[in-house]
Amino acid sequence: MKIASHGIRNLAIVSALLLSSLSASAQTVCLPLPRLLTTMPMGGKVGSEVDIVITGENLEDASELIFTHPGLTAKPRLDANGKPEANKWIVTIAADCPPGIHEARLMTRLGVTSSRVFCVDTLQELVQTTPNTTLPTAMPVAVNSICNAVMTNRAVDHYTFDAVKGQRYIVNVASRGIDSKLEAVLIIGDAAGRDLMVERRGGTLDFTAKEDGKHTIKVHELTFKGGPAYYYRLSLQNIPADSPVPMFASTKTVNSFSWPAAGLPEIAGLAEVEPNNGAAQVQKITLPCDLSGSFFPAADVDTFEFTATKGDVWWVEVASERLGRPTDPSILVQHVGGDGAEQKITDVAEFTDIAPPMKPSSNGYAYDGPPFDGGSADIIGKLEIKEDGVHRLQISDLFGGTRNDARNVYRLVIRKAAPDYAVAAWGLHMELRNGDRNALSKPLALRGGLTVALEVVAVRRDGFDGDIELVMEGLPEGVTAQGLKIPKGKTRGIMLLTADQNAPRSLTNVTFYGKSTLDGTELKRPMHMASHAWPIVDSWGEVPSPRLVTGLPVSVTGSEFAPISIAPSEKKVWEVTAGEKLTVPLVHTKRAEFSGTILQLKTSGDGFEGNPRFDVSLTADTSEAVLDTKALGTQPGDYLITFYGSAVAKYRYNPDAVAAAEAEQKRVTDEATAITAEVQKLTEEAAAAASEKKAEADKAVADATAKKQAADAAVTAAAAKVKAATDLATPKDTVDIILSEPIAIRVKAP
Amino acid sequence: MTAAVLPGSIHAQESSPAVSFVNDVVPVLTKAGCNAGVCHAKAGGGQKGFHLSLLGFEAEEDYEHIVKENRGRRLFLSAPENSLLLTKASGKAPHGGGVRIKADSQAYQILLNWIRQGATFDGEVAPRLLAVDVQPGRGTVQRNAEQQLKAVAKYSDGSERDVTEQALFESNDKSMADVSDRGLVKVLDIPGKVAIMVRYQGRITVFNASIPLGAPVENVPPSKNFVDDLVFANLKEIGIPPSPVCDDATYLRRITLDISGRLPTEEESRAYLANTAADKRDQVIDNLLSSPEYADFFANKWTAMLKNRRDDASDITSNFAFYAWVRDSLLANKPYDQMVRELLAATGTVIANPPVAWYKRVKEPKQQLEDVAQLFLGVRMQCAQCHHHPFERWSQDDYYSLSAFFTQVGRKPSATRGEDLIFHKRGVAVATNIKTGASLKPGALGDAIPAIAPDEDPRLKLADWMSSPQNPFFAKALVNRYWKHFFRRGLIEPEDDIRDSNPPTNPELLAALEKHFIDSHFDLKSLVKVIVQSNAYQLSATPNEHNITDVQNYSRYYPRRLQAEVMLDAIDDLTGAKTDFPNLPAGTRAIALPDNSYNNASPFLRVFGRPENESVCECERIQSSSLAQSLHLMNAADIKGKLATGSGRADRLSKSDKPPEERIRELYMVAFSREPKAEELKVAVDYLAEPLLDSAGNPVDAQRAGQEKFQDLIWALINTKEFLFNH
Repeated sequence: MKIASHGIRNLAIVSALLLSSLSASAQTVCLPLPRLLTTMPMGGKVGSEVDIVITGENLEDASELIFTHPGLTAKPRLDANGKPEANKWIVTIAADCPPGIHEARLMTRLGVTSSRVFCVDTLQELVQTTPNTTLPTAMPVAVNSICNAVMTNRAVDHYTFDAVKGQRYIVNVASRGIDSKLEAVLIIGDAAGRDLMVERRGGTLDFTAKEDGKHTIKVHELTFKGGPAYYYRLSLQNIPADSPVPMFASTKTVNSFSWPAAGLPEIAGLAEVEPNNGAAQVQKITLPCDLSGSFFPAADVDTFEFTATKGDVWWVEVASERLGRPTDPSILVQHVGGDGAEQKITDVAEFTDIAPPMKPSSNGYAYDGPPFDGGSADIIGKLEIKEDGVHRLQISDLFGGTRNDARNVYRLVIRKAAPDYAVAAWGLHMELRNGDRNALSKPLALRGGLTVALEVVAVRRDGFDGDIELVMEGLPEGVTAQGLKIPKGKTRGIMLLTADQNAPRSLTNVTFYGKSTLDGTELKRPMHMASHAWPIVDSWGEVPSPRLVTGLPVSVTGSEFAPISIAPSEKKVWEVTAGEKLTVPLVHTKRAEFSGTILQLKTSGDGFEGNPRFDVSLTADTSEAVLDTKALGTQPGDYLITFYGSAVAKYRYNPDAVAAAEAEQKRVTDEATAITAEVQKLTEEAAAAASEKKAEADKAVADATAKKQAADAAVTAAAAKVKAATDLATPKDTVDIILSEPIAIRVKAP
Repeated sequence: MTAAVLPGSIHAQESSPAVSFVNDVVPVLTKAGCNAGVCHAKAGGGQKGFHLSLLGFEAEEDYEHIVKENRGRRLFLSAPENSLLLTKASGKAPHGGGVRIKADSQAYQILLNWIRQGATFDGEVAPRLLAVDVQPGRGTVQRNAEQQLKAVAKYSDGSERDVTEQALFESNDKSMADVSDRGLVKVLDIPGKVAIMVRYQGRITVFNASIPLGAPVENVPPSKNFVDDLVFANLKEIGIPPSPVCDDATYLRRITLDISGRLPTEEESRAYLANTAADKRDQVIDNLLSSPEYADFFANKWTAMLKNRRDDASDITSNFAFYAWVRDSLLANKPYDQMVRELLAATGTVIANPPVAWYKRVKEPKQQLEDVAQLFLGVRMQCAQCHHHPFERWSQDDYYSLSAFFTQVGRKPSATRGEDLIFHKRGVAVATNIKTGASLKPGALGDAIPAIAPDEDPRLKLADWMSSPQNPFFAKALVNRYWKHFFRRGLIEPEDDIRDSNPPTNPELLAALEKHFIDSHFDLKSLVKVIVQSNAYQLSATPNEHNITDVQNYSRYYPRRLQAEVMLDAIDDLTGAKTDFPNLPAGTRAIALPDNSYNNASPFLRVFGRPENESVCECERIQSSSLAQSLHLMNAADIKGKLATGSGRADRLSKSDKPPEERIRELYMVAFSREPKAEELKVAVDYLAEPLLDSAGNPVDAQRAGQEKFQDLIWALINTKEFLFNH
């Protein structure tokens, strides 16, 4: 029975995969976007120039390599003829560029790419140049250096270094924290490669040599995967015995956007004092307080007592997971009444987890929400004091029962209400194909006539419930941005960016923020952008790795257009009386053929979310949207909405390249034809030449024949280029999200 | 003992005394097997609609079923002899179970008298059974001799009764002693310790018999530590002379296989044999225990029992992480109690805290308690889920109290399919006894556990209890398991079925090992060291005229077939081939495979019994021999491929310009860690010198002939017991 059901389940999975792979071959998900995927090396030393090689998707005609810090600049590397070499750049790292994590992007034909981490450090930089997958081929590394390397599939990279007995060495691999797919295993071995210490959780090896002499460092992927995406930076440092272990910079998790609250000092004013592990060892505090502590040792419970007055309301916030630690803080507050044997303990409040502002996706195959979790295992909670007197607060880590790690720190803030919010955004995604998360690594590289959406979420703090407007400034020429605000008390909004059909090619860094008011004071908060580090076409095959990204460049390609634009017939505020229907005529501007004739549209935007799905014809140039404010219960006010759905366009990739290739083909073919005629002519002349001119004529024939061979080769190469460009430009079914331009609506009171 | 022992024969009384349902009828049904699990106590309604509680543990329910169910059709009070209960049991009426109680038996008479007396239930008033004793409790029984046992029941009213007729007797080793259903023990030919379990109405006692061989024990190797003291004392007590200490080559091969799961290399063997240091045996122990292969080999052992199983491609990350956690913990010699603590109370994500992966495999509290009890405590609790454990003292309350430790395990979905985050869910841990409905707080096999606050993870308290020096199970289970690893047979067998009714063959030794382990703060390497340092471990596998029948006193080393992974690696080492495992680096040894998934592509591993990591029991690994194994070694394509592998050992030796003797010595040194004997050398040299003819009778060219002959020699060595066994 067990075997049968197992078999059936597997069959179902296989069938699903077959279906998805079949559809994958027939249909591409999302229009091609430029993505910068790797740089080699992945960083460099301050005050140096670094030659780097890049890889990525759709990177043709890259014109600029830009960074998130002005201390990093780049220029193309030139070949001997002074022409830029494909995918090769020289990066200059200024002497005052701060060490740490920065991000790189390219400006390409299609616009700006997704970003990739570029590290700046103070140590000597090395690059793995030859395979070092065995002990005999181990690469020697100097102490106090960083080696940039790529993991080979099914292999273990070997390094050696000379250790001095009694000296302390810190060995670290930067991988997941710099966008690599490498789940690193780090091993120190003896000279024979026999393992002495192992670290598999992305941590650091703190090794004091017991012997002088050669030691081995081995690095591999947890499941022995490898390839260009599995890159890493191995650092080896010698530090004094009493120094703290250095912290290594890393990208931030998405949910860290809600930390810290605006205006919070960088360092807490108070520290926990152990022992404070229970009722007999409480640490006295007074409110408000801002305190730092650690969940250490294992199963640590830190206990504090304070006095509070009935009716007081305090807000309790804890950061630990949002500081990048693998923790799950939990707080229990109790009232302590009576004394001694008469003491009575009453639970007052229990706090755990910050609720996600949007339900994140499950790990199922279908897309059922963004795989960016804006919530957290940390805490923001309201503490209402119900009785005067002593209160006991205990904080523990629900993940900490057995883990002895002093790095699992926390920050505990107890304050009077300071209403506020934090906002984050990412590229809107929807179900386009089962398992596909490709579109979640989205640079804002716009095509003419395209409207794209960013999904925006807010974490509200201390009871803040105001509207949050979404504002973007510094956009490229021809690009507009309109935010579907986060309504009062809600946590989700949409930002729409629309490029005019004729918007020129451009790139700007934009400023994106949320705007609200509190007691008449404007409350502006920066938007944190999130993205997947990698496009993922099969979410079951690879666990997504979302993170916050730095900077928000927006580009317009200037060379491609959206397959279709849907816009209201007039750019105006559409007015309707509450309780009546509003009909909005829509104009379709089609620039591609589509598979299918119907586009199903839903409505997004506060006040109109419940509007029933409606169909528009993909073959028609116009359509109508009808909005029934009575059925929707829309109250008088100003609204901004969009219609959205998905359609399968017959997309042609870079058709201009075909024309260019064909022009080149014609040019070289003409040259070849001319030289063929020349050879023919010279051959005839040589045949007729007098004997004293014979040698000279034969030489001319030989020279011309050599030229002909070169010309013929050029013709063949040009034909191959035409074919390649033609193949790419052959229409392919490509499914993508279609969004209308934003529509402003004013619902008037009856 | 003031109470008189009442005669067991009730029907012999002049006037029939009152028959007790609880103390007379139910024992009769139990003895006759009516309420066995395969008969009327079968789960799901018994047999043919007649259901009895297992072994009569629920007398009141049994009374309801016998007397009242089906409108009382099973009893005929007006004509008791015609009661279905009797006519079926005695075979007068058709009965699927055959004749269970003969009509002329005392048992029949008890049932008849009970019905005649009105078939009453006396559960509230009958004296309560407190204990059952066996007389004698222990003793020495000569080989091929007999011993009558007497079972005596003790009741709450102070009375005692001879219940030999009603009690059940069972030998823990039928190859050593058999016992009749009337308590007559027949000892067979094998010397040692045997136990006879006596069961009566849920009470258990044991008769421990020592069976001496009685041979003179004169040449006992010197004692190197307490292991030797106690093994040799036992041998002297029962008169089994041990084999002598094995030679150096045998020792090196044995200990390398047992600690590191591999053959010694040729270089290691030569260096060891040439070493003249007095403590060279100890040196090799230290060297092996510090090797990564020790961690690989024992991680392989532990991860199988911890069910590190690949059911889905997406399991790979958690399986690798979990395997690595076990392996790294062993490499670092993390104290055993700490390892178990980290596993039991694991929280977080698999990547951040790999022991969490155990909770992916073992999801329900009852699975968790059963696995933990069997694996770490050597106690099999499964029976107690539904009824009182038939061979033990464990009740359903014990079962559910133990499960209560796991009731506050919280789960949250993670980004990885099939994987949860594990955390402690605040609250008071309680479990419900599904039979009584009682809410039970965490309890540890009869030991009181202080109240656990809602904020405290009960699993940590369980770990505290387990690692307490006073814990009667935790250290014992581990030392017994490790003892078995090195000696093939546990001091208690099976190694994970420790119970009062299954006593150790050398209790003093088990206690001393337990003490050593606790005193060393659960240091696994120290335990291994004290075991393998002993001369008891280093005895020759060759029996003498006396100890050939010994199977449990460790008077000689008991040879064992190499386990699947070790054998595959050994064949690779000897042939110079490398087995390629999917997605793992070239050169990965079979002993270092992280999970069971590699069995799919390896007929060798399957044929030689590599487990699928489905069971907490080491018995899932098949160590018995089979025809398929023999045929595989002789004919299988993968073995042939390894022999003929390009740049393999046969190829290299055939091209070597070294003298044939030297090349043959290399083979022996790799395969057996020893030089060939003169006769072996001569046979091999002669074989190499023989011309090789093809099927047409023509000589094969020299190069090919050389390759084939070395392949033949290696094939022959592989197929020797000396190669296939650790000895």
